Amino acid sequence: MPEVSKMKKPDVKVVLLGDMNVGKTSLLHRYTERKFKDTISTVGGAFFLKQWGNYHISIWDTAGREQFHGLGSMYCRGAAAVILTYDVTNWQSLVELEERFLSLTDTSNHDCIYAVVGNKADLTDPKAQMSQDTDAVLEDQTEREEDRTEPQVLSAWPTPPASPASLSGMILHKQVTHEDAMALYGRILRYKGLEEKDSLPADKMCFETSAKTGYNVDTLFETLFDLVLPSILRKRNENKASPTVDLEDCRGGSGKRARSTCC
Amino acid sequence: MERDNHQAGQAQGVSFCDPPSESNPPAETLATSLCLLGNHMFPDSVERKEEISTGADKEEPADLHQSDVKPNEQSVDAELLSNQVKKLETEEIETLEELINESTQPTDRDAEDVAMDNDQSDSGEFVVTMLAKAKLEEQGIGVKGRSSPLLEAGIQESPAFISHRDEDVTADSWRQHRKHVFVLSEAGKPIYSRYGSEEALSSTMGVMMALVSFVQSGDNIIRSVYSEEHTVVFLQKGPLVLVCVSSSRQSEDQLRGELLYVYYQIISMLTQASISRIFEHKKNYDLRRLLAGSEKILDGLLNLVDSDPSFLLAAVHCLPLASSLRDSLSQILQKAITPNLVFSILIAKNQLLTIVQEKTVIEDTRLEPADVHLLLNLIGASSAFQAGEIWTPICLPLFNPDCYFYAYISYLDPPECTVCLLLLSTDKEAFYAVAECKRKIEEAMVAQNSLSLIAKAQSYSVSQVGVSDLRHFMYKPFDVPDNYRQLTQFTSPEMEAPYSSDEEKMRLLDLYRYMHSRIHSTSRPLKLIYHVAERETLLAWVTSKFELYTCFSPLVTKACAITAITKLLRWIKKEEDRLFIRYPPKYSTTPNPSKSSRGGKSDQQDTTDNGFLSLL
Ligand SMILES: Nc1nc2c(ncn2[C@@H]2O[C@H](COP(=O)(O)OP(=O)(O)OP(=O)(O)O)[C@@H](O)[C@H]2O)c(=O)[nH]1
Ligand SMILES: [Mg+2]
Repeated sequence: MPEVSKMKKPDVKVVLLGDMNVGKTSLLHRYTERKFKDTISTVGGAFFLKQWGNYHISIWDTAGREQFHGLGSMYCRGAAAVILTYDVTNWQSLVELEERFLSLTDTSNHDCIYAVVGNKADLTDPKAQMSQDTDAVLEDQTEREEDRTEPQVLSAWPTPPASPASLSGMILHKQVTHEDAMALYGRILRYKGLEEKDSLPADKMCFETSAKTGYNVDTLFETLFDLVLPSILRKRNENKASPTVDLEDCRGGSGKRARSTCC
Repeated sequence: MERDNHQAGQAQGVSFCDPPSESNPPAETLATSLCLLGNHMFPDSVERKEEISTGADKEEPADLHQSDVKPNEQSVDAELLSNQVKKLETEEIETLEELINESTQPTDRDAEDVAMDNDQSDSGEFVVTMLAKAKLEEQGIGVKGRSSPLLEAGIQESPAFISHRDEDVTADSWRQHRKHVFVLSEAGKPIYSRYGSEEALSSTMGVMMALVSFVQSGDNIIRSVYSEEHTVVFLQKGPLVLVCVSSSRQSEDQLRGELLYVYYQIISMLTQASISRIFEHKKNYDLRRLLAGSEKILDGLLNLVDSDPSFLLAAVHCLPLASSLRDSLSQILQKAITPNLVFSILIAKNQLLTIVQEKTVIEDTRLEPADVHLLLNLIGASSAFQAGEIWTPICLPLFNPDCYFYAYISYLDPPECTVCLLLLSTDKEAFYAVAECKRKIEEAMVAQNSLSLIAKAQSYSVSQVGVSDLRHFMYKPFDVPDNYRQLTQFTSPEMEAPYSSDEEKMRLLDLYRYMHSRIHSTSRPLKLIYHVAERETLLAWVTSKFELYTCFSPLVTKACAITAITKLLRWIKKEEDRLFIRYPPKYSTTPNPSKSSRGGKSDQQDTTDNGFLSLL
């Protein structure tokens, strides 16, 4: 059954950017479906609507392939947050963020926030192999729901007692360090002409995640959602002045009523 | 009745070729590498002048399966056969029998021909050695090569690293694939290989290109190479060279048609215009950069081509549906429109439910089956994450090879994800407007309970026809009555026992492919073939109104088969409304039609590359 939330006009837009194969689709899938499963390289972009409290957040999972390069700026138009994703085991994927993807964000909101995310941390980092959503653990919905409230605690865990390497079998060389990512964040601010002191700090906006184990994935999305709330509120205020959007809201509202009566 | 010369040919297949010659001198690299192609020889026959065409710029026909029937022949036959059909309807079955008897004559002649071809193959020489010695005669006379193991050259340069397409290209299992497909650039750069990584095969592909350009340098075009086990077919389209190495025993035309599908699928992702521009810009550009990630789409296409007769017939298969339900679905689509929307397509279980199209943009054209096939394949290959709504550029190569449409793809029945909505717009920015159309469609479908009705729809069993000896059939009308310019469709029941296993399904398809190649033979097209195979009997019949392939149990008599076909045609006539999309509705969404997607060299040209040209 289609979700009721789909009838609502999204309040805010979040875009996932990054080279192909870094794990954008897997991250989003882990977050929304609580699973890690096989993916197929994305074509174009895929649109998702996420209910966050009273708000509707649209998330665009874009294709990293060069074939779709020019579309990026369209997906980014009016974005409130952009998640620039790289693969911690692949230095080139960080380089591509700067060379190929950063310019696509020119169409995003002037107050857009940027997160730099190193995915596949499970491959390099023992602590990222242990997580609330480890594949070895039961794929039980409720259990994970409970876990969702304490990702910070988990990420702060010291090296867990169980031999983490046994989970994936090996530890790969980490090609991109957290410092590299933070340096890129600094350059992004400069590119945008933003002062570091007026912006969100690099250590807050650079994440290392694992879509495979779930490590830091909820933290990433939820931190961003919380950060875009002000943007939502401002947009709502702007919308009050706009008659066209009011019409849209009415349509969405009536649709919702129609649906609730039939249910 | 004449006995199946196809089978006979296959049985002889092993004997009528040269035994592997051990005594050949060691060949140069070129020769050795060419052996990837098997023992390919140019059969030294009259037909070879077609194979190595002397026209340097000979063009491939644009349509995939053009009718090979000669026009004058057709007009005569059309009359004759329309009489036949009429008579059929009044149960004058003897005439059909006459036709069958007539048809055995060419079949007999053909049997002779097969033998003749074999002789010629025997006397043919391999191209390989001669090419290596650079002594290919101007007329491309068959030259004999040697049968050394495949891919010796490939081994030398096989890189150490293992990619995700990490099949060992030196292994026997690699060689034994039924059908290899390679795509390379004119500069000999590998672009795609169905099995194994392109890198591992780069020297092999280089050799293929050397072969192509060598023949070209003599103002010839290499079209095909034959050996006892393999048929190698070449297709050059613009800066791309496509090669198929097949042991499937399909006809050259069929294999070339399949390569054309591969080409079109690449065009559907990049457009022809941008591929040309890329290679104008940089002759040795590595196109894999742009196709990276699309291998699965091409893999999926080739699997479909092998397993789905839609491709062979160049026709679309729609899901049987009560016409009232199909009409109501069409109306739902017809009402949910937005400016620049040009096609609304509803798909269930990978088959069409209905298709509604814009009036003005496509006034004088129809959607080509090949374009629909490419769309269906794209959906199948990209729907791993089915919860979202996809917005992606896509080119419909037969509609216009140089421009993009923007496709909105969304499933209407998550989490099952069997019913898929596809909306095509010419406006890149129209996502939200188009997504809104989906909401409307969704709402209307909820109101009419359409989803549960669609869920009940299924393909039909041949037993519904009520003819005991009939096991399976494929029926393709050339024009659905009252609907000129209708999308070409065909109907076919489920493949049931004894065609339940994948192997048996494939065997039946191979028989159909064989019948199809006979019907569409360029040198000697046939109207009717009665073919007694080992485990079944097949009858194929083409008229001006339809193309029909039927499969019967082996012991069916000719008279039975004819009665059965009469009944079958009558049944199809009766069920027509359910089996086909009969009255595809239209809508009007462009008050001011730009025709940009049709026009080609229009303002949309700028965006045809999706911006990737800036990365070159
Ligand atoms: N070990 C590990 N593998 C991952 C992780 N995330 C993704 N992968 C794998 O990386 C590959 C690519 O993942 P996708 O999510 O499809 O990558 P993408 O960024 O969406 O790629 P495009 O859609 O082509 O742009 C898949 O094989 C995933 O299984 C991760 O956290 N750890
Ligand atoms: Mg993806």
